[in-house]
Amino acid sequence: MISFKTLHILNKPPEHSRFSLCLAAIGPEDGLLLTENGVLAVTQRLAIHRERCFALAPDLEARGLSAHLSSDQTVSFDGMVGLAASAQNVISW
Amino acid sequence: MPERNNEGFLESAEHWNPKVAEVIAREDGINLSDNHWEIIRFLRVFYKQHEISPPSNRLFVKAVKEAFGEAKGNSIYLMQLFPGTPAKTACRIAGLPRPTNCL
Amino acid sequence: MSTLIIIDQPPYGSWDGREALDMAFSLAAFDQPVSLLFCGAGVNWLRKGQDAAKVQQKSIERNLSAAPIFGVEALLADSDACGRYGLAESDLLEHAIITDFGPELTNRFDHVAFAG
Repeated sequence: MISFKTLHILNKPPEHSRFSLCLAAIGPEDGLLLTENGVLAVTQRLAIHRERCFALAPDLEARGLSAHLSSDQTVSFDGMVGLAASAQNVISW
Repeated sequence: MPERNNEGFLESAEHWNPKVAEVIAREDGINLSDNHWEIIRFLRVFYKQHEISPPSNRLFVKAVKEAFGEAKGNSIYLMQLFPGTPAKTACRIAGLPRPTNCL
Repeated sequence: MSTLIIIDQPPYGSWDGREALDMAFSLAAFDQPVSLLFCGAGVNWLRKGQDAAKVQQKSIERNLSAAPIFGVEALLADSDACGRYGLAESDLLEHAIITDFGPELTNRFDHVAFAG
């Protein structure tokens, strides 16, 4: 797994003002983790490389979105902790 | 007996079985007949499909009416089977969560 | 008096939408005509295949499927929002209808209220 400079954790839906703020803030060495309502972003085209974009599996399942992302991009709660630990810093949007 | 809350509802719908239903019914002075079982089975299927108990007596009656027609989907029939607050009594016996809008 | 309740918040994130659903059920219980319109991120309420067990919630899809039984007249989904979220009518739960959110729709109701 690649490690990131900053891990951006986004739990806001695409309509939320912080959603586009977050996407604009993602640097070339950063990663994005979608949680809660943030996982609705998997239905949209995002300008981020797939290797740098992850979503929390239970939140995808709840919303019927599991098929929208390949399994290597989905993480469990443990995986989320791992991602956060491997990043230099974390921003929770 | 599986664990129950202070109003006699099962903590988990999975711990229900017909014997449990009979014990709870007896607390309400009800001997379960085929007519009771028909409604109990209906409520269990309803809960499985919709993950809610009918939230009030009126909606309980509506749901029964939708499934079995006017003859059974009326408040007098259900009141006779499940005295007190029918939706609440029936859900308790069926091992389902308390209807949200029943006092 | 007919009522249209509009849900524009995504599912599972907050309780506002659930409260709106309770309100719709209560109106239906008293035989008041009521319909639900989902727009914005709210259209995701209607997506098939939800499994909320691991987030310790009841499936909104399954809760909503009781609406027609309780007498809620229509489950409507705004077409623009469906487009944005890649939802075709076949992706939506049974009974949901894609429609256009606008005066033509809202004028058909005596009372229109947003959830939350």
